[in-house]
Amino acid sequence: MAHKVQPAIISCGFCEHASKRSDVNMAELVNEAVEDCITKANIDWKDIDAVVNGNMPAFEGANMPELWMGDHMASKNKPLLRVTTGGTTGGSVTIAGYYSVASGLYDMVLCIGFEQQSCGDTTVGLASVALGEFSIFSDLGYTIERMRSNMGSGAAIGVASYQAMNYMRRSRATEEDLARVVVQNRRNAAKNWWTHLKMPTITIEDVLDTPYISFPLRFGMVCPASDGACAMLITTEEKAKQIADIPVYINGVASYSNESAIIGIDCAGAGQTDPCEQLGAMKSAEVAYGQAGISFPNKEIDYAEVYSPFPNQELMWVERIGLFEENQAPEAYRNGVTALNGELPVNCSGGVNSTNAIGASAMERPAEAALQIMGKAGNQVPKTVHTALGHGWGGSINLITHVVMSDEPQRKWR
Amino acid sequence: MVRAEFDFWVGIVMDKFYDGLQNKQFIGSKCSKCQRVFLPPRNRCGDCFAKAEEFVELPENGVLKNFTVSNYNVTERRARKAKEPIMVGLIQIDGADTGIIAPIINISPDSLKEGMKVKVVWAKNVKGHPNDIAGFEPVGGG
Repeated sequence: MAHKVQPAIISCGFCEHASKRSDVNMAELVNEAVEDCITKANIDWKDIDAVVNGNMPAFEGANMPELWMGDHMASKNKPLLRVTTGGTTGGSVTIAGYYSVASGLYDMVLCIGFEQQSCGDTTVGLASVALGEFSIFSDLGYTIERMRSNMGSGAAIGVASYQAMNYMRRSRATEEDLARVVVQNRRNAAKNWWTHLKMPTITIEDVLDTPYISFPLRFGMVCPASDGACAMLITTEEKAKQIADIPVYINGVASYSNESAIIGIDCAGAGQTDPCEQLGAMKSAEVAYGQAGISFPNKEIDYAEVYSPFPNQELMWVERIGLFEENQAPEAYRNGVTALNGELPVNCSGGVNSTNAIGASAMERPAEAALQIMGKAGNQVPKTVHTALGHGWGGSINLITHVVMSDEPQRKWR
Repeated sequence: MVRAEFDFWVGIVMDKFYDGLQNKQFIGSKCSKCQRVFLPPRNRCGDCFAKAEEFVELPENGVLKNFTVSNYNVTERRARKAKEPIMVGLIQIDGADTGIIAPIINISPDSLKEGMKVKVVWAKNVKGHPNDIAGFEPVGGG
């Protein structure tokens, strides 16, 4: 697939993330990121042609927030589209922005992802997402208690612990390996201005000293629940060259899902037995790399932002999306390959493990990857980044978005 | 049964509004570009995408722009017939460009008219809460 118009990212904005941003309401929270983005791009808000936004439905208990915060999203008299796909919302919003520009319909699109989790009850929010599945589940004679016990514990960690066990069995990764990922993320987050959990002095021992929430995941390994927002401007190649010093061209996008493990279709049982197999991730990576003309991702990708609320997932994703050979990621982390000054830095923003405002998280991945190419990231890697990727994860551990970007436009021979 | 509790942070700007209610005042905000005045205040003007962080004190008088009358009390679980009709109106305070919704009191439903002048009646105990506005009554007995 070659696009008619080459889309490019020219600016990314954030607001400060914290567990409770009670100094602002939801609209003002979003506005902080939007203003940061527009100010950094140095454009007039009237130059924006359309707005795409999204957050997780029902997490704040506020339905259709885009209808009452239009003023704060610079969207007056502009087409406004809401996209919401659970954990991958931010990634899907980015892809929707890409489609809007690539199709030639709009020249400049503002993408916004946000979440103010302190307003609501996240577990109930998740339950409301799963409500359709709950009702069918009870038709089959299962009680909600039974389903909850099947999930290990509430919310995402219940399914992630199965995934972690499978990964550790496959790769022989130890708990220490998981803790090492956490330490790298949180120390990176300490150097990035907008992140939530900043822990510049955390050690592996500190992480292993915390109690288990759901074996093998400990309290110290789990992502926080954050309030925050992210905004991004996507425009055409011609405009991007005029506005930005280094435009970041989006060369490949993909969104794939495989049938979920654990819950299965309509809770009728597991569609697969191995939640760390991740065919959806492999497929979306393959398709996005294909569009971008990347044949050897482990050699050609200079920087990666992957969506990993839990440390085992970071190890798993970098393998599934082709950055490392299968089961080799723990070794690479041990040798510092993925560190700030390593050969293939991963999640130097601090990652989802340090900051998780769910609707924004999957957009912060491509946004931070783009900033690394521009050389404007909060925790900038010392080497020059030419090609980077932003990955998103959501659904019942099965939905993946993939955005591949570069400082060169898509190869014309395609 | 699943019970869920949700909060909503009003933020610093709306805090000013509630602080104002506690002092029996209406506090709005003014757009730095087009000078439109918002009540309740907001920190951003949608027309200009400019900051609206200048707070202005507004009078207690306003104009009734729209209203409705209901014969039912809406309680948490069900609607019950009210002893007296309940009147709710959209009031534009003088000097503001936006409206607030509040009860209308001390008037019979038949004499409600769009465009009539109204004045706020404060609650006995004001404590920085939406209920500090007991309602609006017509100026000069309607």
